[in-house]
Amino acid sequence: MDCEDVRTYLLDDHRGQLAPELAREVRAHVERCAACAHDDAAEHALSELLERRLPQHPAPLALKRRLAAQWPAPGAARAPWWPRWRRAVAPALAAALVLAVAAPWLTGRLPASGRGDGAQALVAEAVNDHLRVLLSEHPLEVESGGIHQVKPWFAGRLDFAPVVPFGGDVEFPLKGGAVGWFVDRKAAVLVYQRRLHPISLFVFRADGLPWPARGGERIGGVDAYRQTARGFTVVLWRTGDLGYALVSDLDPKELATFASKLVG
Amino acid sequence: MGGGAGTGAGAALGREALAYVDSLHNLARYLTGNASDADDLVQETYARALKAAERFTPGTNLKAWLFRILRNTFLSAYRRERNNPVSGGLDTVDPAAQGVADDHWLRDDMELDRLRKIVAGEIEAALMTLSDEARTVILLDLEGLTEVEVAQVVGCAVGTVKSRLARARLALRRQLKDYAR
Repeated sequence: MDCEDVRTYLLDDHRGQLAPELAREVRAHVERCAACAHDDAAEHALSELLERRLPQHPAPLALKRRLAAQWPAPGAARAPWWPRWRRAVAPALAAALVLAVAAPWLTGRLPASGRGDGAQALVAEAVNDHLRVLLSEHPLEVESGGIHQVKPWFAGRLDFAPVVPFGGDVEFPLKGGAVGWFVDRKAAVLVYQRRLHPISLFVFRADGLPWPARGGERIGGVDAYRQTARGFTVVLWRTGDLGYALVSDLDPKELATFASKLVG
Repeated sequence: MGGGAGTGAGAALGREALAYVDSLHNLARYLTGNASDADDLVQETYARALKAAERFTPGTNLKAWLFRILRNTFLSAYRRERNNPVSGGLDTVDPAAQGVADDHWLRDDMELDRLRKIVAGEIEAALMTLSDEARTVILLDLEGLTEVEVAQVVGCAVGTVKSRLARARLALRRQLKDYAR
């Protein structure tokens, strides 16, 4: 075994990948050859340098999100995001929602106007629904080519016609939509964006929900209820038969600006 | 993305494939030399992988398969566009032409002392002077791919991977002397 052979095997020897007999032969050569002993030490040093100091360049989060959105997870290729999520956590969520929302009616103790109990349930529901949108790998069932593309997509998928006066602009572009749920009813989910902040708008039938009567503010032409929960700002309002829940981690003032565009 | 997004094969491969995105991006970054091109290269790699998902053989090394797609994508879409002054790579130069000084350096204990003082930016800069192929085999080896897997990625015989890696590492040591002094 000459020096060239030995140097070819040095890396394998460091990693314990040589057969015992070959490893003994390599080490014997290294012990009696100064040049190969130097190479042996230098290869060790180089390995340490590469493993410990070579800068690593992991994929940026934005790229990961793009890829995740484009390549569905197993079993998720065709199913909408919301039914999939519901199957996973439906029992716990259903129990919580029943207790939080339905119990007052069942017990005949509907929250008094302005007490805020019902409003808390709606706020919690809105935040949870927004989180599902954020965590879903495929939150949008229809990508936005503008409100005139998104709105017709809901036809036949909901038992009401969502009224959305604002179709997005440069500051708050509309990203797309999906069908979801709000409490016990189907909802149109529209996702907008402000810089890097996603904004979810849920539109649903307003009847039978414990809308807060006090603690509101005027946004545009409607009485709205705004509250912060778990770092998210929620704006609730109703117009005619439809209810609206707007949720984002956006600055509350900016979200109010956005809400004013929505209410028209 | 291609039309394979909704196929069963594509969906089944999806989550596992995405687990390797950091490793793929790291190699892409060292091949392209900048973050933006690396992003594009990785995105194109996944797009091609998705289209070819049905050709992936379950049970074989998915990571190596993705690396091969990335390398082929790089060769076809990026490498030809570059105007690389060291195209071909310093490590492809005949070792004898490196001169007596280099041989002396590689036998000198100073090399060991200075190798130990190299900082992150210097090892990165030295690596970037090597050929695409040399960088690829060094990084794939660092990723823990076997010689068989590296051979599949770079498209060579298994028997030549060991010698290519040895040459690449020797070339890197030669480059590092410029940063270590």
